Amino acid sequence: MAGFLTWVSQSGVVQGIIIGATFAFLTAVLVMNAVIKTVTTTVNGWSAIRACGRPENGVLVRAACAKALPAVNVFEEAAYWTATKDGSGQGLSGNQEYVLRFPAGQLPPNDAFWSLTVTDMVGYMVDNPINRSSIDDGSELVENSDGSIDIYLQRAAPSGREQNWLPTPAGKFKLMLRAYLPGTEILNEKYQVPPIMRIQ
Amino acid sequence: MNRLILKYGFPITVVILAIFAWVVFQRISRGWDEVVPLAIVAVVVWVLGAPAFIYLWPRITVNGFKRAILKHGLGGGPIPLNSLYAAPLTSSSSAPARSLLATGTNKLLYVAGWLDLKKGPLILRVPDMAGRYYSVQFTDPSNSANFAYVGKRATGTRAGEYFLTGPDWNGTVPAGMTRISSPNNSALVVGRVFVANESDLPTAYGLAQQIQLVPPNLA
Repeated sequence: MAGFLTWVSQSGVVQGIIIGATFAFLTAVLVMNAVIKTVTTTVNGWSAIRACGRPENGVLVRAACAKALPAVNVFEEAAYWTATKDGSGQGLSGNQEYVLRFPAGQLPPNDAFWSLTVTDMVGYMVDNPINRSSIDDGSELVENSDGSIDIYLQRAAPSGREQNWLPTPAGKFKLMLRAYLPGTEILNEKYQVPPIMRIQ
Repeated sequence: MNRLILKYGFPITVVILAIFAWVVFQRISRGWDEVVPLAIVAVVVWVLGAPAFIYLWPRITVNGFKRAILKHGLGGGPIPLNSLYAAPLTSSSSAPARSLLATGTNKLLYVAGWLDLKKGPLILRVPDMAGRYYSVQFTDPSNSANFAYVGKRATGTRAGEYFLTGPDWNGTVPAGMTRISSPNNSALVVGRVFVANESDLPTAYGLAQQIQLVPPNLA
C-alpha cells in the first residue's frame, strides 16, 4: 500500500490528472466558444443568439448558451444584442466617441420596452458622472429634423446633446441592447440594429 | 473571483501552461520513462474530461445562481428555499459589486428564488398586473432550459395561481389552477417586473412583492 502511494506520488500520475483535467477544461471552453460562434448572428457589429433557453437544444448548444448567456430568456421573451465593436470592426473604447443613429421609426420594435446599457467587458455597469448607465424608451431623447435619433456614446458630455448621451467608461466597453417582447420584425429577422459609428 | 477569472483568464492560462511545461520538462530531463505514466493519465483524463465539462456546464452555471440566491440573495440577505425575493431597486452601477443586479437593466425589478419540490407541490401566486409587462421564468438546472413561463406573453397579466409539481408527484390539481410540471425537483425561478420610471417604482415593487410561492396547505 505504502509502496503504491509512493509510486503514485512519484510516477507523475497526480500531475497527469491535474494536467489532463486542465486540458479538458480548456478544450471544453474552446469547443463551447466555437459553438457560440456558430449560433451567434452578427449584423452591423451587433451579436444575438436566438437559440438559447429552449428545452429541445442539444448538449453543445445548451453548454454554449450557459457559457455565453447563463439562464437567459428565450428569444421571444427578450431579444438581446451585444456589441464590443463598432460598425467598422474596431473594438469599442472609451478613448473614442461614437454615435448610434436609429433612422426614423427604427427603434427596436417591442411590446414591452427596449433599453441600451453600457457595461465593462465582463458585463457590469460602471459608475459615471451623471449616474446614467442606460438609455431606454422612457428617456426623453431629442429627435433630428428627419425623425432619426442619435445616441452619443462617449466619456465627455456632448455639449447641447446631453439628453441623448450615454456616458462610456475608460477603456474597452460593451453595449447591450434589449427588446423585451420583441416585435415581429425582430423575430423574423427583418429588423437590423444600426451600426455604431465612430465620430472622426 | 469570477470577475478576476473573466478579466485575466488568458494570462492565468498562459502561466498555468508554462508551469505544466516546466514539470514535464523536469521529468523528461531525468529520462523519457519518467514521463510515460503522466502522459497516459493526462490523455485519459483529457479525453474523458472534455465532454464531461461540456455536458455539466449548464448545471454548473445554474448552480452558480443557486448558490448566489441561497447564500447571498439580491441585496436582502439569503433567499430561503421555496420563497421568492423581490429586489426593491432596479439594476444600477451602484448595485453591490459581484451582485447579479449589477448586470441587468434599470427597466426591470428582479425577483428570484430556488425551488425544491421534493416535499410536495407549491403554488405560484401572481397579482393582477393590469397590462404591465412581467414574466416569471422557470429554469431546469440540469440543462439550463426554460421549461415554463408565467407572464404577459405566456399567460397574460391577470391574477392567477399556478400549481408547481415535481417529476414524482401524482395527484389532482386544485380547481382553478394551471399545472406547471418541473422536470426536476429543483428549479431556478427568475421574475421580472417592468418599471416605467422613478415614480412608478413603488407600484412596480408592490406588484413584484406579490409574486409569491405558497405551500398548498396554506393557500
